[in-house]
Amino acid sequence: MSSEETPRNEAPEPQPTRAQPLPQAQPPAPPVAQEPDPSESEVRTGRQRLGAAVWPPRVTRAQLIVAVLLFVLGLGLAIQVRSNSDESALRGARQEDLVRILDELDNRTQRLEDEKQRLEDQRTELENSSDQAEEARKQTQQKEQQLGILAGTVAAEGPGITLTIQDPSGTVESDMLLDTIQELRAAGAEAIQVNGIRVVADTFFSGAAGDIEVDGKRINAPYTFKVIGKPQDLEPALNIPGGVVQTLEKEQATATVERSEKIIVDALRPAERPDYARSSPQ
Amino acid sequence: MIAVLGLVVGVVVGLLVRPEVPAVVEPYLPIAVVAALDAVFGGLRAMLDGIFVDKVFVVSFLSNVVVAALIVFLGDKLGVGAQLSTGVVVVLGIRIFSNAAAIRRHVFRA
Repeated sequence: MSSEETPRNEAPEPQPTRAQPLPQAQPPAPPVAQEPDPSESEVRTGRQRLGAAVWPPRVTRAQLIVAVLLFVLGLGLAIQVRSNSDESALRGARQEDLVRILDELDNRTQRLEDEKQRLEDQRTELENSSDQAEEARKQTQQKEQQLGILAGTVAAEGPGITLTIQDPSGTVESDMLLDTIQELRAAGAEAIQVNGIRVVADTFFSGAAGDIEVDGKRINAPYTFKVIGKPQDLEPALNIPGGVVQTLEKEQATATVERSEKIIVDALRPAERPDYARSSPQ
Repeated sequence: MIAVLGLVVGVVVGLLVRPEVPAVVEPYLPIAVVAALDAVFGGLRAMLDGIFVDKVFVVSFLSNVVVAALIVFLGDKLGVGAQLSTGVVVVLGIRIFSNAAAIRRHVFRA
């Protein structure tokens, strides 16, 4: 701590600023360490001084100032280390690197946007097509129902009439029944069944009076027609002068027509697949 | 002792509080920290040499930081920021090493 030891130090290298104040600043410090002779203090200098500065914690101006500066240093160090580990490469990166990274990100964003657009289009397309498929399926189902009613493969219900023909004297011929069917069809009947037999396009009536067959199945009087259609059309069609009812009455048969809001035609026929005819797109 | 405590407290506070550094200062912080480290090593060596003066330490600490930041700032303005800051770090590193060597000779006598 005495000023004599400083010349002994090898080469104060590039520290002129710190070395300069030595002559003026040194005098205040030595008084404490005055007793030991130069040679002994030389031996103790380095570690001794460090120990003296570190161990008995003294609150001196120098210590406080150094503490403040070191506090600032530690703060900066911690912040820097933290921010460096925080945002990895970007924080320390230079401007050119940042521009390049930004460019790459832009490109990537563009590519991803394109891909997103493409996928969205695809999704919309798929949704549309599945909607269309659903719609087509619904329509097909409806059509199948309608055609099924015509072909007699499904049961039908709706407003209509019940026509009952009593034939006590056995005079009703099969052609009269056929006329009745024609009349009903002309009046807009949509589904007809006779005594539990569904009347369709290829239904035929055969046999003589009292022994009538429909589609090869024998039916007996009374003949009950269940007809679905507009009752207001069907009833007059049967009752017109010279129509079905009058003709039947001439043959001593009685025909009664009864309107109903709910007629159920539940006689079915098996769906027959045609052997030769195939559906054609036209 | 108090000085060491100051350093420790600074590090702890920096880690815990995570203060936001203004963007303007940010590029100069690392170089300023290295410059301050240089000043601290110089001060430690001076203390071991017995020629430590607090005023000199304060001035050298602050001027080191300011000059280092200035050099980097200037370099950024001139478009050679990367090279200049590398240069500053090299110079400060050399000084830190030489100071550390002097400290080592004092502490370990080798």
